[in-house]
Amino acid sequence: MREQLEQIKAAALREMQKCGDLKALDALRVSYLGKKGQLTAILKQMGRLSAEERPVVGQIANEVRQALEEALAARQEALREKELNDRLAAERIDVTMPGKAAKAGGLHPLSIVTNDLIDIFQSMGFDVVDGPEVETDHYLFEALNLPKDHPARDMQDTFYLGDNLLLRSQTSSAQIRVMEQRKPPIRMVCPGRVFRADEVDATHSPVFHQMEGLVVDKGITMCDLKGCLEQFVHEIYGPETRVRFRPSFFPFTEPSVEVDVSCSECGGKGCRICKGAGWIEILGAGMVHPNVLRGCGIDPEVYSGFAFGVGIDRLTTTRYRISDIRLLFENDQRFLEQFN
Amino acid sequence: MKVSLNWLKRYVDIDIPVEEFCDRMTMSGFEVEDVEDLSASMENVKVGRIVKLEKHPDADKLQVCQLDVGEAEPVQIITGAQNVFEGALVPCALHNSKLPNGTHIKKGKLRGLPSNGMLCSGEELCLKEGDYPGAEVYGILILQEDYAPGTDMRDVLHRNDVIIDFSILSNRPDCNSVIGVAREAAVVLGKELRLPKPAYKTSGGDVTEHIAISVEDYDLCPRYMGRVVKNLRIKPSPDWMKDCLRGAGMRPINNIVDITNFVMLETGHPMHAFNLNDIAGRQIIVRRAKDGESITTLDGREHGLNGEMLVIADAEKPSCLAGIMGGLESEITEETTDLFLECAKFRRDNVRRTARTLGVRTESSARFEKGVDTVGVEYAMERALQLIDELDAGDIIDGVIDRNNGLPAERVLTVPAERINELLGVEVPFEEMVRILNALEIETTLENGVLTCRIPYFRDDIEGRADLAEEVMRIYGYEHIVGTPMKGEVIRGKKLPERICGDRVKELLTAHGMREITTYSFISSKALDQLGLAADDGRREAVALLNPLGEEYSVMRTQLASSMLTVLSTNMSRKNPAGRFFELSKVFKPKSLPLTEQPDELPALCLGLYGDEEDFFTLKGIVEELFARCGAKAEYLRSDEPYLHPGRQAKVMLPGCSAPAAVFGEVHPSAAARFDISGRAYLAEINPAPLYEVMEKQRITYQPLPKFPASTRDLAVIADRELPIAEMEKAIRAADSGIVEKVELFDVYQGSQIPADKKSVAYSIVLRAADRTLTDEECDEAMKKILTSLEKIHVFLRQ
Repeated sequence: MREQLEQIKAAALREMQKCGDLKALDALRVSYLGKKGQLTAILKQMGRLSAEERPVVGQIANEVRQALEEALAARQEALREKELNDRLAAERIDVTMPGKAAKAGGLHPLSIVTNDLIDIFQSMGFDVVDGPEVETDHYLFEALNLPKDHPARDMQDTFYLGDNLLLRSQTSSAQIRVMEQRKPPIRMVCPGRVFRADEVDATHSPVFHQMEGLVVDKGITMCDLKGCLEQFVHEIYGPETRVRFRPSFFPFTEPSVEVDVSCSECGGKGCRICKGAGWIEILGAGMVHPNVLRGCGIDPEVYSGFAFGVGIDRLTTTRYRISDIRLLFENDQRFLEQFN
Repeated sequence: MKVSLNWLKRYVDIDIPVEEFCDRMTMSGFEVEDVEDLSASMENVKVGRIVKLEKHPDADKLQVCQLDVGEAEPVQIITGAQNVFEGALVPCALHNSKLPNGTHIKKGKLRGLPSNGMLCSGEELCLKEGDYPGAEVYGILILQEDYAPGTDMRDVLHRNDVIIDFSILSNRPDCNSVIGVAREAAVVLGKELRLPKPAYKTSGGDVTEHIAISVEDYDLCPRYMGRVVKNLRIKPSPDWMKDCLRGAGMRPINNIVDITNFVMLETGHPMHAFNLNDIAGRQIIVRRAKDGESITTLDGREHGLNGEMLVIADAEKPSCLAGIMGGLESEITEETTDLFLECAKFRRDNVRRTARTLGVRTESSARFEKGVDTVGVEYAMERALQLIDELDAGDIIDGVIDRNNGLPAERVLTVPAERINELLGVEVPFEEMVRILNALEIETTLENGVLTCRIPYFRDDIEGRADLAEEVMRIYGYEHIVGTPMKGEVIRGKKLPERICGDRVKELLTAHGMREITTYSFISSKALDQLGLAADDGRREAVALLNPLGEEYSVMRTQLASSMLTVLSTNMSRKNPAGRFFELSKVFKPKSLPLTEQPDELPALCLGLYGDEEDFFTLKGIVEELFARCGAKAEYLRSDEPYLHPGRQAKVMLPGCSAPAAVFGEVHPSAAARFDISGRAYLAEINPAPLYEVMEKQRITYQPLPKFPASTRDLAVIADRELPIAEMEKAIRAADSGIVEKVELFDVYQGSQIPADKKSVAYSIVLRAADRTLTDEECDEAMKKILTSLEKIHVFLRQ
């Protein structure tokens, strides 16, 4: 009987080792360890043994069962792993094939740049306001220290809609509306659309975009203007960019300056982008003219302020190196897709 | 303003390189737009004397010249010209030379003989008769005077000059003059300014015996000065004057005309010369023109005049458009013997208006429009007389007639110096302020910290502290302005609700793969016809531009659809296979026409789609999502927009609004064709205002997640073909006692399996109660109710 047990064990182990899949393995389990299995059949004959032999053989039989069960479990584990590995190998795909996505759209580049500007100035405490695009002569010119027939009115060819009504040629008109409505301290920016009677070409558009900025408070100086613009320039062009003031003239600011930044392409050495100058003109600015403050009921002896106007289209075309402003208004899908 | 560097140097020493000079002028407020080095246009062109002339042995029309060009050996040059002769002085472009027309000359061979350059014609040197006598003669330019062979032609032609084009800011009309620029240059360079001090001899007589002057309209002519010069000796001006004029881009004519132009450029004061003997009645009357009068100006054009235009008239008729252009009849010619010379100030807005109305713009009118000062008129007149004397151009009659209604009083400003620094934010030493202002001829003294400034007559632009601060700073140097961080109370920057809502809408739309577009606010007036709008459509009430760039951009838009269709058309024509676009912008609705007040500027939103994947329902899906996400309860009804397909369009109605919040659908093929769109396109016009309103009110509260399972029942029914699906869903919802969670349409079938006037509709209905698991009986009961409700609209269970 002992020999029988040993033979069963040897045969079972051999067969398990040879067994190649889980189903066959389970059949083996039934044929050896199941209720009608070979080992069970042997154990049923235990009654025929003597009382001395019975515990000895019983122990051996248990050892055999245990050995078989362990071997079975180990073999099962190995086969499961193999089966998984086979599946994984079969499921191998070409990961260089394109992905699938519901494609998101995106904002127009002008909106992207405008939003960037808004974020910068809003974080510095500027309110973001809006103003009408059809303006009266008063808000666009008179209140900005440009009386009728002032030669500086020639600087901008304005579209007229009626006797006193025109399409705003600058967002500066928003300054006046804000100053008339609020008392200092004032910090505001007004991004928006402006219009000038320029024939369309690669650098001119009759419709373009500006952002006006205005700060009025006690003790505001030109150094504050420069500090504020430096913050903005560093955000847009990088922290190493330098800011330069160059004297200029705008009727509604005094002193007035053109603001240049060191060319981000060459760092100021002079290149194709800055036309060799090392500087790029980005905006006009100045201290709010006393006449303008006075006209809005703000005492220029008590308050001072600064204002600036940024050309958003210019900022956009330089940021993305867009060579022709007309592309911004053509809206070719292949153009729009490039910005987000 | 173009200024010759040599001319500037007559008044101020400029001893630094041109580039540095230009930089320093730019940084003081006189931006240099262009620098033209006249000498750079011509190189290695020298005066040569023809010492020997022979015929070319192998070519009939060529001559072989041996030229003395100031070198040890003569140079051989072959020419085809026939007007050369031995002994002639001619311009020789030697080997490796450059001509003003851009040609490079190199040595070569002509019919076998070496030619070491080229003899030049006047044309090849870009010369006109006025530049050099004989310049327009056919053939080689034969030099008139005796120059040493080897002399640089640039010296002969006075080309050793640099022309600098300064951009003069509109607050500095005084710098539309060489003296004005020289004054600034002197301050910038810290040099002395040397101005001509007019002095001249007169020939006796009395001006009043020759002319009488009366000014009738002092409001338009605050000052008018006149002098008389007799026995004119008209001849060409000297080279130095011609060079100055040419540098400024003016062509020399004769000494009298040149002097008036020279003085205008030098002082900024336009002058006018009349033929004294052409002045009827020897009377000058400065007056407004009478309606119906006319004048023929120097350029030969005749202009009808009106009572708003100022003229200089004689006893009979207008003989000059004041400050703009002289009349043809009183023109100075070679035969003129006696001269009446005018220098005046005319009001700038009047000159501007007249010049614009008549379409005549001259150097003179440009200066008057920008503004000339009243006091300086006298200096300009004196200077002109000095030059007449110096050039021996005529005999100056004693006496001046000066008509004015009072010269402007001197203005004195007092400003605490500290207040200037307060505006700038830097500490400019007070003494430095005084030094700078005085250098600018603003006579300034400092006492107890207060600056007292006498504003010179030519600086009308200086009105107060801010102007003085600018004068100080632009000379002291803006590099001293050092940025300081923002100070003051910490305040939060706020956005307007409309911007916040607009940004949210854009975010929702971009999530649907839509791309934002930007188009012009003005459109063609024909766009409304292209859309096919009815004659009485409110959108035809559009604001027109009075001065549009063209018909294409002539009215302010009242809708965005036409712009969107244009963009769709552009993309299709460029073979972009599909596109999803939106524009959030403004439309302009006049309160009345013609426009008397600002129109309403209303936000507007337009969506446009095309491509194989798109249909009415892809567009509707986006519209539904937009309204749902914004918290709006929208109802979708059939609509009748003329530019949309009559069977494939809908409007969006919101509760409490009588006007639709949106209209959308497939573009009508006829409208599409008018925009050159051939395939199908889909368009939605949305009024964002009511959408923003619900967005602002939207308050989202969390709904607990269901604790009990749902039961899903499918329902297939037969309905009349024309019955709207929305009606059926309404009927299903009407039967709900609170357990219908979701009604999902999953199939609509029309075809051979069912009668032709019917359709089969299949729903998946999700039932769930919040507080219990529904029993089968409850679900059966609910479905029965739904069917009963559907039966009322003749919808029956499909057997």
